[in-house]
Amino acid sequence: MNVKNDFPFLAKNIDLVYLDSACTSIKPKQVIEAEKSYYEDYGACAGRSSHKFGAKTSEKIENCREIVAGFVGAKSENLIWTRNTTEGLNLVANCTDFQKRKTVVTTINEHHSVLLPLLKLRDTGKIKLKVLKAENGVVSLEQWSDAIDKETALVVTHNSNNTTSIKQNVKQIAEIVHDAGALICIDGAQGVPHYAVDFGQENFDFLCFSGHKMLGSTGIGALVAKTELLKSMPQFLVGGGTVKTVSLEKVVVASDQSKFEAGIQHYAGIFGFAAACEYLKKIGMKNIEAHEKTLSTALLSELKNANATVYGDLNNRGALYSFNLGNAAPHELALMLDKEGIAVRSGFFCAQPAMESLGAKNGCARVSAYVYNSLEDVKKFGNALKKLSELYC
Amino acid sequence: MVLCIIAFIVFGIMSIFSAKYRPLAKEGFRCVFRTLTMKPCDTGLDQKFKTEVVYSVMRYSPAIARFVNKQFAVISWIFVLLTIASFGYSAYGVYNFYVFGNCEGPNAVSTCILNDLTGDYGRFSSPTELISPTSLDGIKAGNSSSNLTIVEFGCFVCPYTKKAEPLVKELLNTTNVNYIFKPFPLPNHNNSFIAAQAVLCAVKQDKAWEMRERVFAHQETCSVDGTLAINDIAESSGMNMTLFKGCMNNNETVEELNKYIEQGKAAHIYATPTFFINGKPLVGPKSIDEFKGLIK
Repeated sequence: MNVKNDFPFLAKNIDLVYLDSACTSIKPKQVIEAEKSYYEDYGACAGRSSHKFGAKTSEKIENCREIVAGFVGAKSENLIWTRNTTEGLNLVANCTDFQKRKTVVTTINEHHSVLLPLLKLRDTGKIKLKVLKAENGVVSLEQWSDAIDKETALVVTHNSNNTTSIKQNVKQIAEIVHDAGALICIDGAQGVPHYAVDFGQENFDFLCFSGHKMLGSTGIGALVAKTELLKSMPQFLVGGGTVKTVSLEKVVVASDQSKFEAGIQHYAGIFGFAAACEYLKKIGMKNIEAHEKTLSTALLSELKNANATVYGDLNNRGALYSFNLGNAAPHELALMLDKEGIAVRSGFFCAQPAMESLGAKNGCARVSAYVYNSLEDVKKFGNALKKLSELYC
Repeated sequence: MVLCIIAFIVFGIMSIFSAKYRPLAKEGFRCVFRTLTMKPCDTGLDQKFKTEVVYSVMRYSPAIARFVNKQFAVISWIFVLLTIASFGYSAYGVYNFYVFGNCEGPNAVSTCILNDLTGDYGRFSSPTELISPTSLDGIKAGNSSSNLTIVEFGCFVCPYTKKAEPLVKELLNTTNVNYIFKPFPLPNHNNSFIAAQAVLCAVKQDKAWEMRERVFAHQETCSVDGTLAINDIAESSGMNMTLFKGCMNNNETVEELNKYIEQGKAAHIYATPTFFINGKPLVGPKSIDEFKGLIK
């Protein structure tokens, strides 16, 4: 797979090996052009103004909604635009009804965007929270079965992990959840960009994901939810566009998903998001998954050659590894790799409990590859790591 | 953390002159503050420095880089202590500069410098700008008809002018020289004007060299006690004190001294002692060999 030429950022930084895609991805020219086209060819509000540019923008936004929803096997009426995955997760946590059932189940492996809204609800007494422990980054189906019961209102978890890229069998977890009459919300930030996800087939109740991690624009994300839930859930943010009529005595809320889309949306970002979905679809998610599998194997081999400490179980992974090298502090390691022209992230990756549970008490470095990376990039990373291992090991 | 101390000091000073160093100074301060309050440094500034240093060394020698990486804390402390010592030494130099007109202090083989910090006569000069005085008046000694003329501009309360005294004496004893001393009191030395006036007054009683020797011998007392000490010295030199005190209060003496100061300014004197050996300048109490080199 050689798509590097589509990425102006990589063309401008020809010596850079970008391996920080789990943080954010590089954008192809198709996405940049799409975003630009909003400002140059559309420029108006969607769903409000009746002039021709308003109508044109509305039509395009709904078209984008269809593309993005379709990308995850959902219908356009099930998709809400959000700023990012975090906003979607907050919306679900805050708008789910916990009157009858109070328990929410999650895992220690989650991103702060999953944990923090739930911890906040727990601390205010609105929910009871069960946090499943992990063995080397893995939570077994037995653990899920044991934890989920008739008291469970909601399960929030990831499909692919932010710190290890270990994939969970979320389809089976969803079955367990639904058997108990509960709801499941999937943090798809690290899964949706890397392999085919089907909202309908996998029977999720909620799926949150971000544009910027899948070649799209920053500041735009999506929450996909089942129709009946969108109808029954109360509003999260309120404001322009979320209502049918307003008087000082009575507010009539919009009946469709627009009740969750308060204020003017990030139209340019939505254009870019849809363009990214089309770009990925054109390459084919199966091809992307296979490409990443190759990169993953190569990355692991390079990490082992350099005697790096790799965190988490090594099975069922994407092209992402969290690691430490000898006595190097994680930030030092990332800075040294940066000197070698390799961009990786260091720290806790917004998942401190997860990292501590994996044994990286002081954090670590994280390498994450994507469609635009090649085996040559991995080799360069390996060479740099090998050089540094002589320094730190 | 260690390097943050240096960063805070260095970038703190640099940020006075350029805003671009202020974020780094802030990071340094935050790191130092957190460490002092028993909290871990969270800026990553020290790691950035370490990376820069270790990576730079690694390009030349991986083995040395490995050593630097392992011993970075020790090396950092050495640099911190050197920096602190360097700042301390600089502060001592500034103090010396202010008090003695020279960074090296009273015992250094150097000069008393005129400058904006200590108060000058209007300009800051350098050896290449020195101009030999045309007038040969002053406190004279030696052979006035000699082919070798040495003119000295000196301050009686300057430790370096005092330091040059044995040399002047040696020259007078061993060389056929026409020696002329022009008093050039430095404003940054206490009672330098009174001391110069006293020696000019001593000339009028043929006691110039006695007075000069005694003033140099009691330089510190003259500097501290001023008129009181000068009067004691004049008396012990065997001068007529009525004439001496009258001379000290006489405007003519002040005018005569001002004349020498003006000559010094015209010669671009910036430090004492400054010698002109047949017109060639030499600044500071140099060795006899240096003098002889110029005499040849």
